[in-house]
Order: sequence, then structure tokens, then C-alpha cells
Amino acid sequence: MMIRIRFHGRGGHGIKTASRIAGTAASMEGFNVQDFPLYGAERRGAPLTAYTRISDGTIFERGIISSPDIVIIADDSLIEDPMADPLNGADTNTIIIINTNRPHDISEGLAARGRVFLIDATEISMSVIGKGSAISAAMGAAACRVTGLINKATVEKAVVKELTSIGISSEEIIRKNVEVAGTCFDSLPSFEIITRAETSQLLTKTIVLPYEAPAISTPNVIASGNIIERKTGKWRTFRPVINYDKCNHCWICFVWCPDGVISLDDKEFPHIDYDHCKGCLICYEECPIKAITVERESSSNEQ
Amino acid sequence: MESDTKYKRLKDLSREEFILPGTTVCGGCGGLEALRLFHKVLGKNVVFVNAAGCFTLLALFPYSPFRGSWLYTNMASAPAGAQGVRDALDILIASGRLKPEDDMKVVVLAGDGSTYDMALSSTSGAIFRDLDFYYFCYDNEAYGNTGMQMSSASPYGSMTTTSKPAHLSTAGTRSHKKDIFEIWRAHKPPYIATISPRHPVDLSEKVSRSMQYKGPKLFIAFSPCPTGWMYDPSLTVKIARLAVDTGIWALKEAINGEVKHTYIPSKFKPVEEYLMTQGRFNHLFYPVRQDKILEDIREDINSYWEQYKK
Repeated sequence: MMIRIRFHGRGGHGIKTASRIAGTAASMEGFNVQDFPLYGAERRGAPLTAYTRISDGTIFERGIISSPDIVIIADDSLIEDPMADPLNGADTNTIIIINTNRPHDISEGLAARGRVFLIDATEISMSVIGKGSAISAAMGAAACRVTGLINKATVEKAVVKELTSIGISSEEIIRKNVEVAGTCFDSLPSFEIITRAETSQLLTKTIVLPYEAPAISTPNVIASGNIIERKTGKWRTFRPVINYDKCNHCWICFVWCPDGVISLDDKEFPHIDYDHCKGCLICYEECPIKAITVERESSSNEQ
Repeated sequence: MESDTKYKRLKDLSREEFILPGTTVCGGCGGLEALRLFHKVLGKNVVFVNAAGCFTLLALFPYSPFRGSWLYTNMASAPAGAQGVRDALDILIASGRLKPEDDMKVVVLAGDGSTYDMALSSTSGAIFRDLDFYYFCYDNEAYGNTGMQMSSASPYGSMTTTSKPAHLSTAGTRSHKKDIFEIWRAHKPPYIATISPRHPVDLSEKVSRSMQYKGPKLFIAFSPCPTGWMYDPSLTVKIARLAVDTGIWALKEAINGEVKHTYIPSKFKPVEEYLMTQGRFNHLFYPVRQDKILEDIREDINSYWEQYKK
């Protein structure tokens, strides 16, 4: 018996830690485990993947998991992201857990995928910890729960161990994370896992690129400022929103935006470029008259 | 000198952007914030010579956030690369192939790992040769791009992934941050400054002032790093402010070797206010407060400022 879990998240969600929590908890229950992250050159906010294998025998398999039994998706915006492609290799037996606050939109599109389960871990985290950005304990606990192999008490022990090992020493923060883990654990059922042999590492979809003339298909190395074609707006979990009735056009949000996504109009009112805003919320934190508020990203504010 | 001041308030800053959004650096990057403000003053005719580091991610092939040119070098050689670019520009101008008014400013972009450790020798050479260039060091006090390993810019008492606090080493990093400002100053370049993204007027004024000097113009930018220092990205500016207000990051410049502090807080805040904002100093407070280490840090700050008291 081997269970293969694949975690998808964005840098900062704590996805690597989630995979470690699942691995450590399974190890404490006497299983053999592997856990490891995979990320490219990108950073906090960019998609990344982590993997956990749990087995009652020796694990000979190596490398990434292309046919997961369980997929954990920490941010619903990743479902449509071609770089992340979290559903790749999942079949109708795969259990898919999605962290989302828009269950209606998600379940419509994914109903045919079979065993999809939605959870609002960000909300649980916000209500207990007061923050919803790092959700490693929630995602790790969700993975442990659906395997049906791991006790709640073991998950809680694994959360303490892993959060301590990444340098969190505040007992209060660890206790709250344990609470979040417990709540997520209890809110999910355990499933019967239908495991299967690992298939080949080939992509399930082959993308055929049509021929284009070199002038189109070759990167233009003398292009100036073309990075604007990369949209980093999906990195956000929360978005800053300017209240123009209050704004006194003081320039502070404009000056301190690291990415330069806030511009000023003729009347010196600031405007946020949501296609590129990464959601760091420095503008919200620094606005001296609190004319900027924070909203959780949801389908209603997608343009 | 006062009459030469170009930047007096936030609204004196340029509204034009020279670094376009879409880069893959972390949300809330203090180094990018400082570079964006720095570039606003230099204007558009700039060639960056980028040592490997976090800012490798700014220009991710085939994309670039810069409106001008960018050259990539390894960690140890950005100032040598800058020499080559400067020489090439000079030759183009001398041979009439580039108009003097189209000349470009050559800017080295390097992190603290490159600046304090690996490229120290090639920087020394470039200053010695009186190379006409700018050096922008984004100092996030560790090797951030590879996962926060200790550099010689890591401050005493901080945790990095290669200097974790342990039973025998409660401080985490036991060595003290190298004084790169003084190392540079010993080379007698015309202009050196420390800058902080929290003080954009001071930053802009320094860059503007440095532009009148020919030769090496060197900047160390305090660069709060949410990922490596372990704090919420929204706090980048607050942390930069606390670093200055507690006296841990001195804002100063040295024109032809003469050191002058450009901003001195009237009353220093307790350094704990700065340290407690960041996970990398958590071990100094939990599970037990490390009074001896905190006292060492206070002592370092006091002895620094003591030498400038008249």
C-alpha cells in the first residue's frame, strides 16, 4: 500500500511545511514516508508543489508524483493556472481537496472530476490566528485526515514538531495552529483510498505548438520593459482597496509600493494595477488615514 | 550646500516608473522598493550589471522589467563587468559612434552575499581604478536567493539556515556584521552612502548628490526581506523605520571620505522593538529571553554612536 499526496500552493502558504506535517505524522504512526518540495526560480506568491509518499513497505519510488491519490490545492486560483496545473494526472479516484471561499464556482466546474472536497482553510485560519496567509497546519491536517491512516492527536504532534523546526517559537502561535489543524481535520471525512501503480512520468496532455515564423516564435531580447506581460495579480490572497472618499492623495501608497503598481492620476489620486499587485499590503499598512481596506480575493472582485 | 537640495518632500519624487511590474521577486521586497526609488533619480539611461542573487529574478528571460539594458554576471565579478561596459561606452563615444548626451550610467546591482563576501576583491579593484560607476547593494543580511544562509552581513544574534540557534550557540549568528562602509571608505572613493526605502527623500537626495562626482559612487540599501526575516510582507516599511529609529541602521554618507549622518533620531527606541518584529530574532525572546545577547546588541549600537558624539 502506498499513498501519494501532491500539494499545490503559492510561496508563503507553507506548502512545503504542510507536506512535512503529513510526512512526520505518518512517520509517527509507523509508516515509511518521503516528503519534498519542488519550486523554480520564483518567490513568495508564485506556484509551487510539494509531495508526500506514505507506505507500509519500503519506498523505492523517487521523483515527483505524476499520478497522485490525493491532491491538496491551497489556493483556488491555481486550478486555472497552466504553470501549476494541479489536476494533471488526477483521475476519478483521486481525492481533491481545495481551499476556497467560492464553493459554488468551484464545484460546478469540477463536479465531473469525482471526489472533490472543498474547505475554507483561510477562513478557519483567519478566525483562529487572525491571519490567513500561511496555512501549512490546515493543509497538512487535511491531507492526514483524508488518508484515514492518521490520528488527530498525531497530526497535532506533527504540527508542533514541524512549526518548531522552522523557527516558530511562540507557544501561542503554535497552539493556535494546532487548533486550526484540529478544526480542519474534523471538518473532513476520511476516504477509502484507491491506490494504484505509479504511471510513467509523461504528461497526460500533449501540447502541440503550431509553427510560427521566427519573428514571432523567438524571444525578443532587446524588448524593453516587457515583463509587464507577466501578470502577478494572481499571487494575492487579499487585495487592497482604496476608498476615494477618504483618500487625501498624500502619495504614501504610491511611494512605498515595491513593485510600482500604484500610479497617480492628474488629481494625484492613486490607482492600483490589480493585474500586477502581489498583495503585499504595504499600502494598507502605511496609509496614515486608513483609506485603504483589505478584501479577501473572491470571484466577485475578478474583473 | 542647503540650496542645492533637490528633494525636500515626498512630492518631489519622480512619478515616472523605470522598473515595470510583473517581476518574480517576493511581494513586499524591501530591496526592490529601494531600487525602484534609486532608479527614479538616476533616470532612464542606465546599464545594470547584475551579480547573481535575488535580483537575478528581475530579468527572467525573455522578460525584463528595465527600460534599459541589463548584463548578468556571476557573484564575484559584477564590478569587473561594469569596467568592461564603461570602457565600451567610452570607446563608442571617443570614436563618435555614441553621442555624449546618450551616454549611460553603469550600475552594479549586487546583494550582500556578493558585496560583503564574494565580490569584495573585484569591488576593491574597481574603486582602486577609480571606475566611474554606481554600486547598489541590496543588503538583506544573508544569502536570500538560495535560502537564507549566513553571509558576512548577517547581524550578530540573527538566525539563518546555517547559523541556527542551538544549545551551545544561543545567539544563532555569533559573528558580527562586516563594516562594508568603512572597508569601502578606506579605498577613498568620492561618494558612499547608506540608504533605506523608508526614507525616500533622504535616499533620493543622496543619489542626486552623488551624481556630481566622477568615480565610484557606492550605496548600501537596507533591504527588509519578509521571506528570510520571517515577517508579514506588509511590515517592510515599518521594519525599515524601526531599524533607523533604534539606531541599528545608521543613515549616513561619506563625501571624499568625510562621514556625515544625514538623519539621527532625537531619541533611540529600544532595539527590542525592532528585533521582535522578525522571526529571525524570535529565539532571543522565546522560550527564554536571552538577556546577555540583547545586551551585546545594545552595546554594539551604543559603541557605534559613541564614536560620532562630539
